[in-house]
Amino acid sequence: MFEREDETVERVIQHLRRPVAIDPGLDARVMREIAQAPPQRRRVKPLWPLLAAAAVLATMLVVRPWNWNAANTSDTLQFVLVAPQAASVALVGDFNDWDPARSPMRTAHGVWATVVRLAPGRYRYAFLVNGVEWRADPSAPAAKDDEFGTPSSVVTVGGRGT
Amino acid sequence: MMLAALFLVTQVAVQDPRLERLDPDTRAAVVAVVDSAHGVGLPVEPIIQRALEGVTKGAAGARIVAAVRRLTVDLGTARTALGTSASEAELEAGVAALRAGATPDVLANLRDVRRPPLTVALSVLADLVASGVPADSAAAAVLVLAPKARDADLVEFRRAVERDIALGAPPAAATSVRVNVADVYSATNSGATPNPATRSRRPRP
Amino acid sequence: MGISKVEPSDAELVRRVRTGDTGAYGALVSRYRDRLGRYAVHMIGDREDAEEALQDSFVRAYRSLARCDDPARFGAWLYGILVNRCRTTGARAARRRRMFVHDAQALDLAAHADQADRLDWTDAVDRALARLAPDYREAFLLKHVEDLEYEEIAELTGAGVSALKMRVKRARAQLQKYLREAEHV
Repeated sequence: MFEREDETVERVIQHLRRPVAIDPGLDARVMREIAQAPPQRRRVKPLWPLLAAAAVLATMLVVRPWNWNAANTSDTLQFVLVAPQAASVALVGDFNDWDPARSPMRTAHGVWATVVRLAPGRYRYAFLVNGVEWRADPSAPAAKDDEFGTPSSVVTVGGRGT
Repeated sequence: MMLAALFLVTQVAVQDPRLERLDPDTRAAVVAVVDSAHGVGLPVEPIIQRALEGVTKGAAGARIVAAVRRLTVDLGTARTALGTSASEAELEAGVAALRAGATPDVLANLRDVRRPPLTVALSVLADLVASGVPADSAAAAVLVLAPKARDADLVEFRRAVERDIALGAPPAAATSVRVNVADVYSATNSGATPNPATRSRRPRP
Repeated sequence: MGISKVEPSDAELVRRVRTGDTGAYGALVSRYRDRLGRYAVHMIGDREDAEEALQDSFVRAYRSLARCDDPARFGAWLYGILVNRCRTTGARAARRRRMFVHDAQALDLAAHADQADRLDWTDAVDRALARLAPDYREAFLLKHVEDLEYEEIAELTGAGVSALKMRVKRARAQLQKYLREAEHV
């Protein structure tokens, strides 16, 4: 006849509690990945002069046609992050659904960059480094409401929006 | 047929496929917020983006829902202050300014003295506060500059203030010095004397 | 007899990592790999995605180790990171699973049990688990398979205790129903 519900569910639980063998190679992959970034306690202080230079570079590189009279102009902006030890950097923000796959950045000599077209508006954004670490843009105004607990930045594009 | 029906049961509440990234409970709550915002004519894209930000950052569902609810309320406040013809970008910038500490009156005043779009002016206000300038100093500075300055000038103003602060100036003092210079410059150009009422006062300690 | 080697505690290993001994983190990974892996595999339902979520969670935990307030409860803290990470993958995997579970064959089997081949019981359990809504599955696994207390689960998921109890209860009822559909006595 039918098992009582408790017995069926108990069998399921006993089955699910059995050990699951995970590929032991995972340990090495984890250790390799964490070795790629600087260890926690060493902050990137030595990089500050470089970051300041990058901020200047970013400002110079931004293409900003302040076309006051044009309607619905969109701007082409370049986003830059200096992260020589990163394996990957993605730009995520209000302009790409916060999807790390949409705006991966490319690197040359540790300077990561990508170009995005933005319609007029104010956008929150951040850099996602190695898929796990959130960084604000050191050369941009901070987004003060970090209600999700990670830092973000703001970029504002002028011109007439809809 | 049964297959389609089964899909409908799980899909009926979700209009925007991007929200599938949320877990069912959170998605249902966010969709409710989006629908009610839409119902009163508020833009929904900022609300959706805030939810997507939350899910990408791994926030708990409750936190995401609280954030979108708060944003919706603030968008409503911004729209009351800026008027129903305010664009989505202006409303978002308005929310940022409100959260930075500007009162709705400041937003309304800005609307009265400056041609739209107000997006950059409101953003600069919020960004100044983010750099450490007290909210009332930032509001006063932007209101003084708003009638005549172009968007590019406002952005340049904000950058100059940030540079001064980075070099050690107390934030409120940094804005008042720069506003006085700008005020005199624009008054000289237009031929009028600077209005004593709008000249920045020394910051209160 | 003699001095037996006592394994260092989680708190001790965390302390070592924080003072720069990165290798000590390897011991924590080995210690928690299979147990957390079990949750990830059952939650996500796809071994590759589960191992990726597990790897990401270990890396993320290492990078934010400074924010582990109570090193003695490192395991619980690590769980929280994994649970959240599984939710992101869950959304992608759920699309694949929905396609699988709702396909015509599965529907046919449920409707015409007498004509179907008898499913292997473990396959039936996997399918039944996959059919649960993610938040039901999450609560059920954390409570009954990972043996966490409701208060702990509440902390990890952000849901209230009574909501969690309801989810577990519904998960149990649904599992029983799905398995009954798949079995014949």
